[in-house]
Amino acid sequence: MNCPSRSHENRELLADYVAGNLAPERAAALERHLESCVECTRFVEEQRLVWDAMDQWEPQPVSADFNRRLYHAIDREQPARWFERLLGPLWRPVLPLAAACLLIVAGLVLHAPQAAVPVDSRVGVEPEQVERTLDDMQMLRELMVTPAEGEKTSNPL
Amino acid sequence: MEHGVKQFMVASAALDYDAELMLRVKDGDGASFDALLAKYRTPIVHFLYRMLQDQAVSEELAQEVFLRVYRSRETYEATAKFTTWLFRIATHLALNSLRDDKNERGQERLDENTEDAPAREVADRTPTVEERMVRQVKVQEIRRAIAALPGKQRVAVLMHKYEEMEYSQIARVLSCSESAVKSLLFRAYETLRLQLAHLS
Repeated sequence: MNCPSRSHENRELLADYVAGNLAPERAAALERHLESCVECTRFVEEQRLVWDAMDQWEPQPVSADFNRRLYHAIDREQPARWFERLLGPLWRPVLPLAAACLLIVAGLVLHAPQAAVPVDSRVGVEPEQVERTLDDMQMLRELMVTPAEGEKTSNPL
Repeated sequence: MEHGVKQFMVASAALDYDAELMLRVKDGDGASFDALLAKYRTPIVHFLYRMLQDQAVSEELAQEVFLRVYRSRETYEATAKFTTWLFRIATHLALNSLRDDKNERGQERLDENTEDAPAREVADRTPTVEERMVRQVKVQEIRRAIAALPGKQRVAVLMHKYEEMEYSQIARVLSCSESAVKSLLFRAYETLRLQLAHLS
């Protein structure tokens, strides 16, 4: 095995060994090398020191109200999209269908043939109007009858 | 070829359960967002805390990370691992914050307060006073050493050590090549080894 300390690329092998990321065969080969290489052994010891110190550095636990603050921040952004929340995810797939139905109904209303409006002849007819109509009919009848009778009278023969 | 790579990434992402959850969030499923939050809240806050070494700022930025995840739900595409996307957002915010003046406050707190981390208790034995002091000194030294690393080296080390990410995933988070990640890690660990050598 080539000494890892002597090449830049192979030094990562030593770091991977300390991190426990080497395959067992490679780790075993490196351990055999370490038995006879002071430089690599020193590198590994120093790297272990760094690794152990890093292991002991534990951050504080996350604040208990972390989620509450996050959801509050999300809610503050929501009013601009109130309609989305109102409709909700369940309604989303139905929306295109509802829009299509609305269009069809609108089309039917606009383009359907106008039905004849029934007129009730009894509505709005005043007695005077009926009387006048009857007078007019009487007058017309007299006009139609009068010449015939006149002919008879003017030509008695 | 590019199309093939993209298809492969989509297929890989299909196996990523977190990406599936995110796709459900996209469809309006709030419970899936709750599940992602429950799973990644602590790793994200801890990652940001180790980056910035300020609890209040790290929680504030973690809130922003999840808020951005929620805001992006409608445009989310499962083209990469969910954690890659999530840590990319967190890294972006952390690096921006490091450039910001707020970071100075973190450095001051680092000097003032070295005992904010809860003590790790070993189940079968109580550490002696001397052991606790040695541990305290080690933690203080590592915090100083990590805080002194350049931003990208810090990101690479924290993801490698604490998130146990592979080189390829760190590369995707940092938008660089795997060899660049190895180089970042090599330089970062070398600095840390030199800084902590006196403790051995």
